[in-house]
Amino acid sequence: MKTPFAGHALSLTRLLPHLALFGTLILAWEIAVRTGLIQSIMVPKPSTIFAAIVELYFVKGTIWYHFFVTLTEAVAGFIIGAAIAIALAVGSSLSDAFRRYVSPYAVVLNVTPGIALTPVIIAWFGFGMGSKIALAAVISFFPIFVNTLTGLTQTDTDREELFRSIGASRVQIFTRLRVPAALPLLFAGLKIGLTTALIGAVVAEFAQATEGVGVLMSRFSFQLNMGASIASLLSMTLIGLILFYSMEFLDDRMVFWRREERREAVSRKRARAWKRRG
Amino acid sequence: MQRHAVRSKASPDQNAPVVSGSGVGKTFASGTVIALEDAGFSVPKGRFNSLVGPSGCGKSTLLRLISGLIEPTSGSLQVHGEEVTKPRQDVAMMFQRATLLEWRTAIENVLLPSEIGGRVTSEDRTRAMELLKLVGLGDFAFSFPAQLSGGMQQRVALARLLQTGADVLLLDEPFGALDEFTRERLNVELLRIVTEIEATTIFVTHNIAEAIFLADEVYVMTPRPGRIAKIIDVPFDRPRELSIQTSPEFNHLVEEARDILGAH
Ligand SMILES: Nc1ncnc2c1ncn2[C@@H]1O[C@H](COP(=O)(O)OP(=O)(O)OP(=O)(O)O)[C@@H](O)[C@H]1O
Ligand SMILES: [Mg+2]
Repeated sequence: MKTPFAGHALSLTRLLPHLALFGTLILAWEIAVRTGLIQSIMVPKPSTIFAAIVELYFVKGTIWYHFFVTLTEAVAGFIIGAAIAIALAVGSSLSDAFRRYVSPYAVVLNVTPGIALTPVIIAWFGFGMGSKIALAAVISFFPIFVNTLTGLTQTDTDREELFRSIGASRVQIFTRLRVPAALPLLFAGLKIGLTTALIGAVVAEFAQATEGVGVLMSRFSFQLNMGASIASLLSMTLIGLILFYSMEFLDDRMVFWRREERREAVSRKRARAWKRRG
Repeated sequence: MQRHAVRSKASPDQNAPVVSGSGVGKTFASGTVIALEDAGFSVPKGRFNSLVGPSGCGKSTLLRLISGLIEPTSGSLQVHGEEVTKPRQDVAMMFQRATLLEWRTAIENVLLPSEIGGRVTSEDRTRAMELLKLVGLGDFAFSFPAQLSGGMQQRVALARLLQTGADVLLLDEPFGALDEFTRERLNVELLRIVTEIEATTIFVTHNIAEAIFLADEVYVMTPRPGRIAKIIDVPFDRPRELSIQTSPEFNHLVEEARDILGAH
């Protein structure tokens, strides 16, 4: 199993065709709007968006405050959702009774569209960051819970018998076999959860808020300032990318045995550590 | 060369069996599969016995019973004179699959039994490295399982088995998935090691010639229900040359085992 997004050295020759395609699309779009093929009220010209980006990000810098508000909401919500999900998954994997009590709620929570809880959550937690964090936590919970639980309850009878045959306790089997074996799936869950948390934060901002990129974006849209609106949208993309690649990086570090280069690096490191201990 | 086995307390009677069973039976939960029926046997100290028989005749089941991983439905099993109720420190098992942990280097895999038993001492570490050299993997101590071939992984598992320091070794088709050359070499190596540490060994295989070549006694097993159909005594002295396999006595023993298996 390889991590599909990490560790590709992008050479210029591979990058060039992509840049050419991107440039062509942007140019075609610009021409289409300028010649009136597309209405410029609804769809701004790329040059307009570019001007808005320069203003929002560099000249005035208004975006950054909202950027960090949304980033904080998403990350905080994710951490809370992940903590609860992992705790419940660990409990469920250790006790069948516990799982029987937890899983109906988890399933109900999953089939209920999490986004639909927005009005309720805003009523409970107010207009501030609290409600955004809560919604992010609620909708990031399930993917993390399911993946972690699946990882922890994978059965490898042979390895488990190996551990029992050398006298391992239940705790040792859990920490030395089940947890490491579950890490790849845990991280798969965390990656989905993190992206979902961002959706939660932004949706709650659209619904009711005073700060955050979602607020900024809907405000610009109401003013029919589409260039600035899309420029704000791009900052959500930026948040998404930052979050995704941070988790991807962490995954690559923790599940080091999956990728050839990482395996070799860790293998060299352990050899050095062994020699130092003498 | 350092000796690895945990010595059983100096036994006054050399012929007292280290592993023995009588009337051992195992029926699995469903109640329909009689995996093993009425198995009686007794293995004295330092002996090498093999179990041979077709797939599904209860070989793995018998080993798992002796190792204390599962409980017999009937009969009784003793190791060093004590009834087996759970896995014991002085009994170690090597499984059909290498069962290495892919997030641990070879040496860390070998050290697993020491780690489970308590704190890893520097003697444990020295011994683990010696064992890896013994199985010919001194240069691969820090490789991860994914960087090793199937045969190398099995050798790591063999080193891990020896690291337990157990004096009763149970091997379930340990080299079954390997090519003939590697298997023969590892078998000879295994024989040398267990002779040196005076371990009592039970070795499962479905290869008749291999079973006879390695063992002092061969238990021939037949399926449905799993039974020990016959115990064949192998009279050759140790150490054995590969060439005995072409001798008439050897072929006579092979015929004998084949007749029993063929009758089923
Ligand atoms: N956990 C189990 N539950 C139910 N039936 C089992 C279980 N383990 C083994 N059996 C049954 O017991 C019988 C003996 O199985 P066992 O694994 O001991 O065979 P074996 O001689 O080791 O075969 P092989 O050479 O294929 O490894 C088989 O019929 C098998 O289906
Ligand atoms: Mg078997």
